[in-house]
Amino acid sequence: MEAKEIIVSGLLDLYAAGLCTEEESLEVSYWLQQSPEIAAAYAGIQDGIEHYAMAQAMVPAGDVKEKIWARLPEEVSVNRITPVKQPSNSVIQMNWKWLAAASILLLIGSGIVNLLLYQHVQTLAIVNEQTTRELADSRKGLNSLQADLQVMQNRYTEAVKLNGVNATPNATAKIYWLKNTGEVYIDPANLPDAPAGNQYQLWAIVDGKPVDAGLIVTTHKGNTYRIQKMKTFGHAQAFAITLEKEGGSLVPSLEKMVVMGKL
Amino acid sequence: MDCNIFIYLLFYFFNQLSATFTYTEPVLVTLLQQQNRDAFSYLYDHYAPALNGVIFRMVEDRELAEDILQEVFLKIWHNFPNYDPAKGRLFTWMLQLTKNLTIDIMRSKDYRQQQQIYGDENSVSELAGMENGIGKLDAIGLNKHILLLKPEHRILIDLAYFNGYTQEEIAKQTGIPLGTVKTRLRAAIIELKKIFQTE
Repeated sequence: MEAKEIIVSGLLDLYAAGLCTEEESLEVSYWLQQSPEIAAAYAGIQDGIEHYAMAQAMVPAGDVKEKIWARLPEEVSVNRITPVKQPSNSVIQMNWKWLAAASILLLIGSGIVNLLLYQHVQTLAIVNEQTTRELADSRKGLNSLQADLQVMQNRYTEAVKLNGVNATPNATAKIYWLKNTGEVYIDPANLPDAPAGNQYQLWAIVDGKPVDAGLIVTTHKGNTYRIQKMKTFGHAQAFAITLEKEGGSLVPSLEKMVVMGKL
Repeated sequence: MDCNIFIYLLFYFFNQLSATFTYTEPVLVTLLQQQNRDAFSYLYDHYAPALNGVIFRMVEDRELAEDILQEVFLKIWHNFPNYDPAKGRLFTWMLQLTKNLTIDIMRSKDYRQQQQIYGDENSVSELAGMENGIGKLDAIGLNKHILLLKPEHRILIDLAYFNGYTQEEIAKQTGIPLGTVKTRLRAAIIELKKIFQTE
């Protein structure tokens, strides 16, 4: 018989109801093993019946469950049962034990690996943070160097060398004066460090009079300041740097002049 | 190596999970074969209402139905080694067991004597109780899906699956020729499946 014929015959429906003869039951159980199509049809029938029964369910009184539990045979611990059972069963039990042991060990192992990986991630995070900070520092340095270079390479830039005067023959400084905008930059790299409590001040000589052009930072927390922007001048005849007390002065102390350069 | 501690841990986890855990049928069957009480508890919670409904429709007495339900679950517990998954699903097996046990109890001397006494004492109230029972059945049991089923199909399904009638008895009860009970049942089941698939 074909699977389809068997399915439409209604024999499976009878089988699900438990209404088959013994002979028919044997046949059906053989077909169920042989044909997935028949097995699927049988599963469908059982589904339908189960749904039908569930749809007509009636919740029993709450104490019914207790009454049943009270009548269950006394609980025997699993450990005690095992050796009494058939050997095949205890083999399964043993395998199961080993499986349980293995899975617990696996769990512990995975926990340890997790911990190690976590620590590794922590280390990497620290290294990463450090690298990021260094990169940011380098970028800052590069940016300032590029800014310096831009000032020097600007086509309107006029470089003015300020030479040491008699008291300080070795001191030099450079002024970059952007003629189009009047911006003044100074490179104080070759000025000696200002003594404590003192600070260099730049002056522009405009129409024969010294005009404050700003204070120069030579050192700050151990870093030598490179090219820095000073006040802007439309025109000037000369620039000079004097050593003043910290905070600067209104009028230059000419005797403390360090460098000077004419345009 | 002593693995008992691991087994204990596993059981502990199982217990912790059992409140929210849904067993797949093969797992449930394996645990029940090992006489696991948590699994049996799950089985009861999951299936007792459906089986109670089946019994009630056969005996039409709420209290008696619940008494039989007790016997049914005790039989499920004790007879579980006889359950063969190859022959059908857990519910199919439990349904047949329920049906057969209920019929056995109803045919038993005690039950009939009891009914006899009730009948003798006051047949009027017994009749009222019956009607009451049927009324309850309609109110509680029949949801809209079942009402979609053609009455002749419903009767056929009830007789075959839920009342324990033999093919001959079904034929006699419904007037369907014995040879066509099978195919009629098939048609009823096809309709039933359709109704629940469109849920």
